[in-house]
This record gives sequence, structure tokens and C-alpha cells, in this order.
Amino acid sequence: MAKIVLDHLVKRFGKQTAVKDLCLEIEDRQFVAILGPSGCGKTTTMNMISGLLKPDAGKVFFDGKEMNDVPPGQRGVGFVFQNYAVFTNMTVYENIAFGLKIRHRPPEEIDREVNEVTRLLQIRQLLSFNASKLSINDMQKVALARSMVTKPKIFLLDEPLSNLDAALRNIMRAELKKIQQELGQTTIYVTHDQVEAMSLSDRIAVMNFAVLQQYGSPHEVYNRPKNLFVANFIGSPTINFMEGSFGSGAFTLKDFTRGKIPLSKQAMHAAGQKLTSQEVVIGVRPEHLKIMDRGSEGAGFQGEEDGGSPSGLLAKVVSSEPLGSKTIVYLHPDANPGVILKSSMGSDYRPAIGEMKELTFKEKNLYVFDKKSTELAARF
Amino acid sequence: MEQKLFVKILKFILVIVVTVLFLFPIYWMVTMAFKPYTEWTAAGGKIFWYPTKPTLDNFRSIFSKQLKMNPIAGTAIRPVVNSLIVAVVGTAIAMIAGVLAAYGISRYKRGGNLPFSLLQLRMFPPIAIIIPIMIMWAFLRMIDTWFGLVVIYGVVTLPFATWLMKTFFDDIPHELDEAAIVDGCSNAGAFVKVVLPLAKGGIASTALFVFILNWSDFLVALVLTDRRWTTIPVHISKLQSALVGQLYGPKAALGVIAAIPPIVFGILIQKYLVRGLTFGAIKK
Repeated sequence: MAKIVLDHLVKRFGKQTAVKDLCLEIEDRQFVAILGPSGCGKTTTMNMISGLLKPDAGKVFFDGKEMNDVPPGQRGVGFVFQNYAVFTNMTVYENIAFGLKIRHRPPEEIDREVNEVTRLLQIRQLLSFNASKLSINDMQKVALARSMVTKPKIFLLDEPLSNLDAALRNIMRAELKKIQQELGQTTIYVTHDQVEAMSLSDRIAVMNFAVLQQYGSPHEVYNRPKNLFVANFIGSPTINFMEGSFGSGAFTLKDFTRGKIPLSKQAMHAAGQKLTSQEVVIGVRPEHLKIMDRGSEGAGFQGEEDGGSPSGLLAKVVSSEPLGSKTIVYLHPDANPGVILKSSMGSDYRPAIGEMKELTFKEKNLYVFDKKSTELAARF
Repeated sequence: MEQKLFVKILKFILVIVVTVLFLFPIYWMVTMAFKPYTEWTAAGGKIFWYPTKPTLDNFRSIFSKQLKMNPIAGTAIRPVVNSLIVAVVGTAIAMIAGVLAAYGISRYKRGGNLPFSLLQLRMFPPIAIIIPIMIMWAFLRMIDTWFGLVVIYGVVTLPFATWLMKTFFDDIPHELDEAAIVDGCSNAGAFVKVVLPLAKGGIASTALFVFILNWSDFLVALVLTDRRWTTIPVHISKLQSALVGQLYGPKAALGVIAAIPPIVFGILIQKYLVRGLTFGAIKK
């Protein structure tokens, strides 16, 4: 239960900069995910928050108090490592009691706390087992219990679910969220899995190459991604990108033989405002990109005014993935077989491979990115 | 199928040959220790493959105050004790310094290429520098003292100890240290409470290796000791007489005795050698 402020944090390892000028504010009791690909700086950031690493510049504040010189053991954080770091030379009980023993708590209190936390996580029956003999799933619970038992103000979780099998991952995700809400800890959760981040957190901090890309609610990062990276990273299947240029009231997509998309007046106005160059990248999420047979009614680009004029955006079906609840269809634009577009269609949709289809989408679902700056220029 | 069987037999024969080749000297030594004088000398012109009249004469003679055929050598009791003291203390020095250094190198990545350069030091043939060392030691009045030997033993085996322990510490994931630290341990506390117990196996096998190195050293002990602090290897070399030549029987007897401590040590730490070190500490 503490507000965390990261103030211009920098961390370098030799010539490499792992974290560049990171500024982040995490409110009390919030669940914040730090999301990004491997090597983007998220674990380094966690280590600086916990105190295991000293920042090269910048400060860490808990509830307004500067923590830079406070050793990890006194910061009141609970840390769950990606590989659990369970002490294999001790029993489960000793593992969980470790933090309390170090702090010289009376044995009755230790006993009470350990039993309480293992009851919560349903691992009480494992208390006398040697920690090396546990299954991975149980080990993860022990690691969690160990971090919880000292009643820390802040929870730091470094990809705690990435080693679990898929079935348990979903269950534990819900468990974690429930526990966090019950106990009310401020929680920071590092992951490279955007589904996890989206489902668990109040806010997501997206990082790439040591730089914070965007910090916002799941809704924000999904619907208003700040740049190409965030748009591509969030969302499964990933967003479709189509390159093109902007001019004379329309977008011209270069991968299609007839790739002109006329825009509505307000769209044109909004787009012109922020674009620094004429080169753009148009983003459309697969669930907004529908396929129709050529020339059929309603196919083509649907601007707000038009209600649908055949755009002539033709694409050839490459393959399809029936996933049960939906079907992902892979296509390539008729003028460029090197680009793959994804469309999310209904569960019964079965297109023929090699068939030429017409793409259709609505103007309000477009993301317009400035190609040079990679930033979001417009969203209608 | 014919071919496979043939190859299998060939392999089997090869294994037998190599085993015999390696075990024969040991067999020879053990049997010789129990042979009477007539059987271990070459004087008779006959080779005895096993002692036809086993006797404990050789053992008795090496511990007698005056060796029957060589009055100068004296009893072997002192050398045995010396060897034990010097090997144990030397091993202790190398292990304590080595373990601490190895942990520092493993965790803090300090020392740059120190472990490797330490190892290179060892590759330098000791025989090349033993004379200067002897001169130094003579100057410092450390010849024929236990600490004179112990210092050299500790220093000479330190690179091995450091190098080996570093690899063992590297195998223990640093997240375990970090978990202990986040829970409130100091760095030293984390080392003692978490890492050391997990490194027990590594420490045991490294200690055994270092002990054997010290226990079997001949050159350093030969040069740096005189009479009071001779060790077993040096004493064995003294078991000769002008009349008979090399006293193989007594040598073999002392050799058998010398083989016992390392074996005992090995058996004692066996349970640490066998189990996995950090098996299951992290998800692999």
C-alpha cells in the first residue's frame, strides 16, 4: 500500500543503457504491468524499485520518501522471481518463514503467519516437504507465499506465470488478481505477455529498448496506441499495417492496385493536423478488417459520410486458421504478396485458398501513423 | 548383427585391458606390502604375482624406531602425522580463501580475469621456481617448519579451489541470493544461510581434490623440509639401503597406509558428492 514514483531513472551496464530516463507514477493499491519484449529494461526497472540495483541517475520514491539508499530488506517489498528462487535446502515452512526469521519475529507469530498465508494459497499440506521436491506449480505458490508473508507494502512480480503450463496460468492469473484486490498491495507486474498485462492491470507501462513507450489503461493502450510499436505489441492477433501516402483528401495504399481511400471531411482535417510527412502507415486491427466477395454490396471502405463505397482493395487468401470461436484469415494485398494481412471472421467462415476477396473496414477503426516519427497521428 | 556383436566384444576387451592397466599398479603395491623380503626383492630372480607367505613384516619395519636395513630413515609415524597436519591445514587455507574469493568473483564479477590468471599461475611448473622459494624460505627460517609447508600448499592449490568453486557458485542462480536479500538478509547472511548450504557438494568435492593434491606432493616437501617435518612421499623415497637397494616392501606398505586417508575422506563426504546441488531451485 504505497505510492511509487520513479523519477528520471537511468541504468547503464557498461556501454549499454538498460533503462533510459524512466518517469512513472504508480498510485496506491494499483496493479500496474510493465510490458515489453525481452531486453527492453523491465526487469532492470524492477530491480531498481526493489533496491537490488542502484540507479545510475534518478530517484525512486515510496510515499514521497526517497529510497535510493535504502537496502532491499528494509524497503518493505515482496519479490517473486521468474524462476521462483525457492531455497531448495529448506522445507516449505522454512522457506516461507525465512523473511520473518531474519527479522527476529517471535516463533508464535511466524507460525501463525505462515499458516495463514499457506491456507490462502491452499498449500498448507506441503509445509513439511523439502522445497526441491515440489512440482513447478507448487513452487510458484511457495514463492508467492514467501513474498506475501512479510506483509509488504509493495508486490513486485517478475514474470511469475511464464513458467507454468497454460491451464494453470489462467487459474493463477485470476487467483493473483483476487489476492491483490483482497490485500490491497500496490503491485508491479513484469511480463512480455500482453494478454496477461491487459487482463490483470489497472494501467500498463509499455517499454521497448529501455524507453517507456506509453503508460495508460488497457483500453487506452489498445485503442489509442502512441506509436507503431505499442500498436503492434498489444492485441492478438497483431494489428495490420498498410503503408501508403496521404494527399488530396485521401490515403493511397501502395500495396494495392486500387488503394485509394477517400476520407470524410472531419477525418481529413484531423489527419492533416498532426502529420509531419506525407508517408503514413495505416493500422487496422484484424477484428475490424472484414472480407467480402468482390463487388458485393457493402464491401469497401466505409467512411462516416459514405456508408460504404467499394474501395477496390483486393487481397488474395493465403490461408485460414479456424480457432473455434473465430477464424483468422491470412491474405496478401493484390499488388504485394510480401505483406500479410489478418482478418478475424466468424467461426464458420471458410474461404477458398487463392481466391481474391475485397477488404472492408470502417474509417473510425483506422489508426494513422506518421511513418517517419512512428507516432499516432490520427484516430477518427 | 554379426558385426555388432564383434564390435561389442572388442569394446569389452578394450575395457578389460584398460582397467587392468590402471588397476595393476595398485594391485601390485597392495600385494607387495604383504610380501616377505624374499618375495619382493628381485634377487631371487622369480616374480611372485601374489604373496605366497603373507606377512606384516613390512608394516612393522616402517614403524620401528630403527629400520632394519636403513638405520637413518627412522620411524614412519612422524611423517604420517606431518602429512596429515600439513595437508589438512593447507587444504583449509586454500578452501577458505578460495571459497570466499570464488563467491566474490561469481556474484560481483570483480577480479576480471583473476581466476584464469590464477590458473595460469599453476600451469607454471613448480620445479622451475622451487629453488628460489627454498632460498626465500631459508632466509625467513621457514625451512623444515609446518607453516613453511602449509603456506606453499595453500597458495599452490588456491587457484584450483577458486576456479572450481567459482563454477559451482555460478551454478547457483543469483536470484536465490536476491530473494534472501529482499527478505531482509545482509549480503553475508545470504551467502552463509542460502548459498553455502547449497554449495555443500561443490565444497566437498573441491576439498577432496585439493586435499589429494597436497597429500601427494613430493617436490615441495622434499625441498622445504629436512628431518622433523618430512611428509609421507618424502619418507617413502628414503626407504632404501646401500646393501639391498630400494626397499620395495616397506615402500609398498607405507604406500598402502598413505592411500587410506584420502579414501576415508572420500567416503565421509560421499553423501555430499552424490546429491544434486541446486536441483530444483529454479525451474529448468
